[in-house]
Amino acid sequence: MNTTSLLVFDGLLLFSIVGLAWASLATTDERRSVILFMAFGLVLAVAWGRLLAPDVALAEAAIGAGLSGALLLAAARKQPRLLSPGSSKGSRHPDGANVSLVSRWAVTLLSAALAGTLAWALLHAFSSTPHDMLPRAISGNLASSGVSNPVTAVLLNFRAYDTLLELAVLLTAVLGIFALGQGTPGYQPAGPIFDGLVRWLVPVLILTAGYLLWVGAHAPGGAFQAGATLAAAGVVLRLAGRSRIGLPDGFVLRIVMAAGVGVFLLVGLTLLLLGRPFLGYPPAWAGALILLIETAAMLSIAATLLLAFVGGQPQSADVNAAANRQREEMS
Amino acid sequence: MTDAMIGLVALPLTGAVATLLLPRSATAVAVGTGLATTVAAGMLLFGVATQGALHYEIGGWNAGLGITLRADGLSALLLMMTSLVVLAASVYASAYFSAPSERARFWPLWLLLWTSLNALFLSGDLFNLYVTLELLGLSAVALAALGGKPAAIAAALRYLLVGLLGSMMFLTGVSLIYAGYGTLDLATLLRVVEPGPVAWTALAMMTAGLLLKTALFPLHFWLPPAHASAPAPVSAVLSALVVKAAFYLVLRLWLDVFANVVTPVAANLLGLLGACAVLWGSWRALQAERLKLLAAYSTVAQLGYLFLFFPVLLALPPGPTRDLAAGGLVMLALTHGFAKAGLFLAIGIIQQRCGHDTIRDLDGTAQHLPATTFAIALAGVALIGLPPSGAFLGKWQLLAGAVETGQWLWLVVTAIGSLLAAAYIFRVLGHAFVHRPYPNQPVTVARQEWPALLLAAMAVLVLGLAGAPVWKLLEIGI
Amino acid sequence: MLTAQVLYGLTACVIVALGLRAALLHTSLLQRVVAINVMGAGVFMLLIAVAYRGPGLPPDPLPHALVLTGIVVAVSATALALALARRLHAEQDND
Repeated sequence: MNTTSLLVFDGLLLFSIVGLAWASLATTDERRSVILFMAFGLVLAVAWGRLLAPDVALAEAAIGAGLSGALLLAAARKQPRLLSPGSSKGSRHPDGANVSLVSRWAVTLLSAALAGTLAWALLHAFSSTPHDMLPRAISGNLASSGVSNPVTAVLLNFRAYDTLLELAVLLTAVLGIFALGQGTPGYQPAGPIFDGLVRWLVPVLILTAGYLLWVGAHAPGGAFQAGATLAAAGVVLRLAGRSRIGLPDGFVLRIVMAAGVGVFLLVGLTLLLLGRPFLGYPPAWAGALILLIETAAMLSIAATLLLAFVGGQPQSADVNAAANRQREEMS
Repeated sequence: MTDAMIGLVALPLTGAVATLLLPRSATAVAVGTGLATTVAAGMLLFGVATQGALHYEIGGWNAGLGITLRADGLSALLLMMTSLVVLAASVYASAYFSAPSERARFWPLWLLLWTSLNALFLSGDLFNLYVTLELLGLSAVALAALGGKPAAIAAALRYLLVGLLGSMMFLTGVSLIYAGYGTLDLATLLRVVEPGPVAWTALAMMTAGLLLKTALFPLHFWLPPAHASAPAPVSAVLSALVVKAAFYLVLRLWLDVFANVVTPVAANLLGLLGACAVLWGSWRALQAERLKLLAAYSTVAQLGYLFLFFPVLLALPPGPTRDLAAGGLVMLALTHGFAKAGLFLAIGIIQQRCGHDTIRDLDGTAQHLPATTFAIALAGVALIGLPPSGAFLGKWQLLAGAVETGQWLWLVVTAIGSLLAAAYIFRVLGHAFVHRPYPNQPVTVARQEWPALLLAAMAVLVLGLAGAPVWKLLEIGI
Repeated sequence: MLTAQVLYGLTACVIVALGLRAALLHTSLLQRVVAINVMGAGVFMLLIAVAYRGPGLPPDPLPHALVLTGIVVAVSATALALALARRLHAEQDND
């Protein structure tokens, strides 16, 4: 692709990205806002691909647009517009009408100033000599990292500590959600077409997840993308009204939730006891250890994202069946 | 000794997983983990005192490629305070929650919060700081929402949104730094950062995000409802430690990493906001009807004092006077941490025993809850800044520095703020010490009262009378 | 300076500003959450633009790893916010 056509492509892509963001934030209809946001996320994934970031593109499509969108859409569908705490100062006008004109203009001016300042700083940063100490260090140490995908190497080896804490963030979020109460009641049982689709879609998703996990060592992919795909399989089952969506019960569920953090700590502390630095894998074992950690992380991520979609502790199968019968009687 | 640094993060995190998997013995596991973590903090403090600043390269990768943990005098002291406060609050919490289901939900989140605090104080990498800030924010919100009442949930939700906004701004700053300097390691940045558009904008963004999280006026609106509706041990840790962590980051960035980028104008702005916080927070505390709201507004005011130090420190030339002032700042922060935690724990006892925390109805509390009232009195002494509390030493240094640099405004503000603090503390004590016939024996729960008393005593007696080592330790920089 | 870096970098600044403005002005909780997510997407675009080194060189993998971490953190926070909102709504219904 020659430079002019690439420029045109970039221009169109950026135009649609900004346009979708603007539209998503300008509309007052919550559901429309979420759907435009999902479209925004998908076009972003294309942009990540264009900027040679396929790992991020996969994750953005699966998690950023897909699962986030599903969570937001489920929230928009259930609740009539819930006002942010502290913002319902009396009037119940549609969005922004009870925010005075002065403050609207002040915020708009502030945001414009922010954009300008960031742009100024960024241009300054781009025009100085490029710093490539870290990319060179990464490619230099890639051979002893145990994988050949540099992003996986950074995530699971060089900066594994960040990933450990990030898995702790996921665990905290799901524990917080659990503490707030039971999950939502399920969906209605699916019609024959959707049911048939689900029958082969779910196994394909599970296989894809396994593939993404395996291939992440030497090509775009890895635990996060695999975990999101696995969670998607569970979401599909839930949308089809199934009561069993792949989550274990009770004690086993808690093991799966904690598995990512747990295995990471186990590996790290064992290495510490063997005299190596914390999370300092011996180069010969690095690949195997990374795969072990990634498998546990994939299961944790999938369980956490699926539980987030369920909205809490899954209600038992009987409760779901009773709710479905009640809905049928009422309709 | 450097393994203690990893221990400080790994121990509470392991404890969190263990309490999740073993809910029936969760309390024992949690308190045990707490003791081990406190020992690790002590070891680290000893290590820093004897060997100077320590660092630990995780994974063995050198700075830049990997993430390095760093501990110097300042972070070791804050880590020690964190361990003592959280340990005391854990003992308190073991008696505070009665239902096993409540305990099962509480302990894993509590230990995750502790993990995030330790990880934050030890982190030597800008993006790692972002991740620890997020972990801190989410665990704090989840714990604050454990109250269950609509007011608590609404306050927790506002806290979460404000926190997320702050984190995003912080991350924007981090990204600019990487764009401009190609590294995220704090020690490297210390050497290479120069004044310029990149450094100014990045520091501004990061500071803005952190000011939201440390509730500096006028970004403090989320704090009083969140701290007032949370369960007592959670409020203690939120006021004493969580907001302090964001302040620590502002301190670290302004005085260490970006020291040659900050301007006196910017420092004066921070000082001005701090002054407003002192006056507004103290005034609102005086008007508060409930003890917990009073304590929450007092936190807003006390954090304001910490920001008053910035213009003073920047105006003083490097030398012994500046070191004295810096020590005063840390002493004030440490004292507030212990005192506020003790205060919230004591208020929690009152809330549970009397069923309310309305100030006007506190008559007779001194008789049937004598230890609790004494803890409140001690904490009050530290909050006002009376001798022999550590706060007195801290404020003294602030005033000395202000006089030396001719910044009289901070002098006036500190004086007014201390007077207002005396007013609202004595108002509470006045009600508590009203004599009211109380036929029954005083009801005491030792596990709840001892932690409150010890924390308050720490603030007043230990820090005040044995505080000299603080200044010695602070000389050990990164 | 690469053209693509500048284009995507400047757009990122615009998106961050759009997200911030919407987060401050909207009163609906859901739209505030969407706005914060949009702001996050802007920061991610900034990082990936910084990582891009042209069609010839492989991109800098470090910002890619940072963005991956950021995406997961963002979805965790979104999930918690929505769960809190659901609980608040349920409590308000009962009043």
